[in-house]
Order: sequence, then C-alpha cells, then structure tokens
Amino acid sequence: MRRIAFHPILEIEKPKTIKFFFEGRELEAFEGETIAAALVANGIDVFGQTEHSRPRGFYCAIGKCSSCLMIVDGVSNVRSCITLVKDGMQVERQVGRGEITW
Amino acid sequence: MVKTDFLIIGGGPAGLSAAIETSKRGLKTLIVDEGVELGGQLVKQTHKFFGHEGFYASVRGFEIAKRLISQLNENVTIMNQTTVTGIYEDIITAYDRENDLIVEIEPKYILISVGASERFIPFENNHLPGIYGAGAVQTLMNQFKVLPGKRVLMVGSGNIGLIVSYQLLQAGAQVKAIVEITEKVGGYQVHAAKVKRLGVPILLRHTIVKAIGDEKVEGAVIAQVDEKFNVIPGTERELAVDVICIAVGLVPSIELAQMAGVKIEYIPELGGFVPFRDREMRTNIKNIFVAGDLAGIEEATTAMIEGKIVGVAVARDLTGIDLQEDLEKMQKELVEFRSGPFSDKVRKGLERFFPQSAHSYSKDAQQDLGPTGKLRPIIECFENIPCNPCQTSCPSGAITVPGNINSLPLIDYSKCTGCGICAMKCPGLAIFMVQENHQPGRDLIVLPYEFLPLPEKGQKVIALDREGREVGQAEIVKVVKSSNKTHLVHLSVPAGLAQVVRSFRIPQKSDSIVCRCEEITVEEIERAIDEGYTDYEELRRYLRIGMGPCGGRTCRVITLSILARKTKKSIQEIGCGTFRPPSMPVKFDSIVKGEIDNEK
Repeated sequence: MRRIAFHPILEIEKPKTIKFFFEGRELEAFEGETIAAALVANGIDVFGQTEHSRPRGFYCAIGKCSSCLMIVDGVSNVRSCITLVKDGMQVERQVGRGEITW
Repeated sequence: MVKTDFLIIGGGPAGLSAAIETSKRGLKTLIVDEGVELGGQLVKQTHKFFGHEGFYASVRGFEIAKRLISQLNENVTIMNQTTVTGIYEDIITAYDRENDLIVEIEPKYILISVGASERFIPFENNHLPGIYGAGAVQTLMNQFKVLPGKRVLMVGSGNIGLIVSYQLLQAGAQVKAIVEITEKVGGYQVHAAKVKRLGVPILLRHTIVKAIGDEKVEGAVIAQVDEKFNVIPGTERELAVDVICIAVGLVPSIELAQMAGVKIEYIPELGGFVPFRDREMRTNIKNIFVAGDLAGIEEATTAMIEGKIVGVAVARDLTGIDLQEDLEKMQKELVEFRSGPFSDKVRKGLERFFPQSAHSYSKDAQQDLGPTGKLRPIIECFENIPCNPCQTSCPSGAITVPGNINSLPLIDYSKCTGCGICAMKCPGLAIFMVQENHQPGRDLIVLPYEFLPLPEKGQKVIALDREGREVGQAEIVKVVKSSNKTHLVHLSVPAGLAQVVRSFRIPQKSDSIVCRCEEITVEEIERAIDEGYTDYEELRRYLRIGMGPCGGRTCRVITLSILARKTKKSIQEIGCGTFRPPSMPVKFDSIVKGEIDNEK
C-alpha cells in the first residue's frame, strides 16, 4: 500500500472512500483526490502508452506537462492529475492521442 | 459573461496576496485557478518558511496557504478547476472542467500569476513511469499522502531537490542519493545539512545516465562527469530505485502573457523567457500585471510580496486612493529580501528591466561557541539568507540579525537563558543546544527533530555526526514536544561529542531476529505481549516462536527475557515451557523403518 499511514508534520485524515474502475477493475479511492493520486495509491504507475508504444506515466502532477492524459468515462485526453476521481468513474489507459469526442 | 474589476489567473502565493489587497479595498476580484484547491504550490510545502514574521516566517507552507485564503472576503469569487485558455483583445476565455464549458470573462485589470512548470532533461529511458518532477512527488506525498515509491534517486541539489529529499524521508521513503552535476550544492547549506546528517549522500559532479526498466523505473545508472559535464566512462554505477525525481529547475509559464501582447525577454538569471514588468509588476500593457514565478523563478515569499504590490497598485488605479506609502513599503521589503548573495542572479536579471539597489548586510558570523558547561544554542547558519525568526522568537533578546535580514545571526550568551525556543523556530533546523558535562563524562545535545516515531526517554539511539556517520551511542534524556512539529530531543552522549553529534538514528528493532527458524523479531514478540499474549506457551502458539527445527534452543532464552522485562516477572516465575519429543526433527520414514526393525 502506498498511502502514508502516519506523518510527522501532516494530519492523516480518513476521508470517505469511493469506488471507481480502472480498465474495468474496481478500485478504492478517497473522495477529494485526483484520479492520478488514486491510481498511484493503488500501485498503478502506467497511465497509457505513447503512439510508439512506450509506457507513459505523468511528470508534473499540476496540469502542465500533459503526460497524464487518460480516457475518463469514454472521453479521451482528460488530465488525470488535476481531475477529481468520482464514484463510479470509468478510467482507462490512453494509447497515443486518443479518440476525438464531440 | 462574467464582469469583474480584477481578474487573477492563478491562486498561488502571488495571486492570493494580490486578492487580499484588492478585496479589502472593496474591488470585485475573481480568482481563476486550474487546481482542485487554492494555494498553488504552497499546499504541498511542509517545511517552515524563511523570512520574517510579516511574511509567515517559521510557518509551514501549507499553513501559509490556509492563512492567506482566510483573509479573502466576500468581494472575492473563486473559480477552481478552471483554466484560462485565451487572452483576447476584448475578452478572456476560461475552460471550466467541472461543468465542461468555456466561460467568458471581462475584467478591468488582470494579474497573470500562473507560476512555472518543471524543467525536464533528456537521458536514456526518461519516458519511464516512475520518473517525476520533484513537485509532482511533493503533490503526491504532501497533498494526497501517497508515496509513489520506496527508494528514490534525486537529480539536482537546488533547494527543491534538497527539501523534497528531506520530505521523502519524513514520509518514510529512502533517498539513495542526490546527484548534482556541478561541483557545488545548489541550494541553501542549511537544507543540505538536514539531509546529510540523516545519511543521504550528495554526489557532486554526478549525473543520471539512464533509467532502467521496461514498464516502469526499476533502477538508475549514475556516473561522474568532467568539467564539461561529459560522463567519465567507467564511473557508471547502478542504483536500485523505483522513483527518479527530477529537480533541475523551473520554467516560467509565459504562454498567456505572450498571447496578451506582453513583451517577452530572454533572461537566463530569471529562468529563461520572462515577461517585461516594472517596479509595480506592471507589464508593457497598462492593465496587465505579472507576479510570482512567472515574473522570474524565485521563492514563495518574494511571490507574496510581489502579489501584494500588484494588489495595492491595482487598488490605487481603480479607486484613485493614494496608496503610495503602502506600495513603497512593499517595494523596500523586496529590495531587502533580495539583497543577499542568493539573489545576486535575480538582481542581475532584473537589471535588464530597471536599475537594482540592494542593502548591505553583515557577513560577520558568530565567533565564539559560548561558555563551556552552560546549556546554550549553537547556531550553524553561515550563509546570508533572508531570515530572522531566531531573533524575533528569542524572549531574552540574546540573538540579533543586525540591520539587514540577510545578515548572519549573532548571539550574546550572557543574555541567553537556554530556553531552546530558537532551536524550535529556526526554519533551517540549524540551531542545536549543547551542554558539556551535564553529567560527569557525558555531554548533552538538544536536536530539532521532525520524524516519527519520536524516541522515548531512556531509549538508546545511535548518534550521528553532520555527515550522518555513526559516532557512538546516545541515550534519550528528554523529548520536548512542540505544537509546530519541530520537537526537541535531548540526547546524552559521551563527553567530547557536544560539537560532533548533530543527528541520531533509532536502531530498527524489526531487524533484530530472535527466532532464526521462523524469522520472528523482537518487535513482533513485544507487540504480541502488548496484545495480551503474556505466557510463553501462548506466544509459541501465536507466533510459532520456538516451534521450528531447532526446538527453541536459540530463541527460548531471549523470548523468556523479553517476557520477563515486559511483564515484570522473573524468569523463574514464567518457567521454561514444555518440551515434547522429538527433541530434534526426525523423518517419519526413519520412525517407521525403526518400528519395523524393532518388531523383528
């Protein structure tokens, strides 16, 4: 488990847990955290693949580097590092530039 | 269409400080921010800030964010999770991610305080998941309390690399090394000292050569470099790490400023391409201001001052009230903050925009170490950085930071009462207390400590020097808990080590095996006893201790002594337990064969 259980400076609260789906698999997340944080907490580091089949993770976690793009509820190119995870959300790895949705 | 007096793009330290100034003067202020909460990068800073009380010195970054937000009033509107996508001549567009729509904003004045993004560097396999910017690791561990890995390589020894390394240790990760390509640590000496005394090696003239792994980081190759920063062949070595953290600087996010028509200049001292601005942080466009890292990579404290300047200037322009005095006060504040040697670069860069002035500061360092035998602070702060909580927190006026805030602190030991408040307040954790011969043959050392678990009185620990090397055994004499989470740990060390010991390590009980067959540790036995298994036979059944092939020959006595110590019973009372055959493991086959043989 990668969640920090105790910390010398920060209060570790117990937020409400919610369920979301990663590649169809049900995972637990904390309400108020980003999709990226929830995935890393669940041991998932590979967020997608580049067009040339390189595994892709994220780099900046503040919405700037655009390496964290994922398919969320069927929509491609969602910045998983600044998008809050929601109950029942379907998150999938994105390959390349993803599908354009209207 | 949203109309507002003042639009602030980016609600970090600069944006929030500006909003406080305009909102308290009655101006309708709109903060648009991309993140899930306001505060910018402050929300993930767990260290105490340098500076002075007026700008939250000795307060931790995430607490500063809360304090700034609490000063916003009803004139402020906040749009979170919203990204400004365009600055046009007549309108600003912003994408609201929650509602999935573009909002149009029409402001009278604009502050662009969008900060910076993390610099990336090319090396083999640098695409692998597990390679993060240092800020990303901070976001994960300090904002969301998730650790992306256990063993980390830090690339870069600037303040961010040093601070994040320290915070990784606090969160329970290991930092295998900090590599620094130049011949000198980039950040403050006090930050470097914090990680060094915990045993983290800072490898100068070293760089990362490649990341190892297929799907994600499984290791890293580092190597030494020559004066031209080329890798010296044959010096490569592998580190087993699961996270590589890149802390090689920040790049100002100039996109919006440039598209708005702000003049952009290339000034490496400020971080690369930066927008033009004057002393009031106004760009070449009358109603557009910039502040914070976008205006030049610096610190959150200067970002707050810059933001305040913008807020006051905008309030003056829009209300017509004379605020010259407030403005000049803040400008003077900036000049003073930037007069130290670490701001040489920034001043040189800003010289391109307007003439720079700097106050002189004192380089005189404390010479004597005070009267031997008296409990007193030793201040190990030898660089001119803008900081003075040691002075302002001292109740007896014994410490002074003369004149300029960048001066080195001096202490008058005749006034010092040895209270230890300075050691607890110092943001650099650079103040230690010592007392030679507090007991015959023992010196006392008081260390600021920000880790868990806190040691207990009477506990034996391993004393470490400034480089994190073991120098002897120490005993915890007292632990003074502090509400600011910098606790003071009193250590008794062998005499002569008062000026040597600067850190300690708690021996890991989990590494001490009692039962070699079943791999049971001291800690596991103690925990089981605490849970109520206070009888040797119970412990055997619960932990399987003594039930391995050796039949308890190795562990029985140790287990009994742990039980005796914890339950305060004598070993005689506890007893030796029950022995049953076979006294040594015997194959069933041998038993069966033997039975057949015996029947003959």
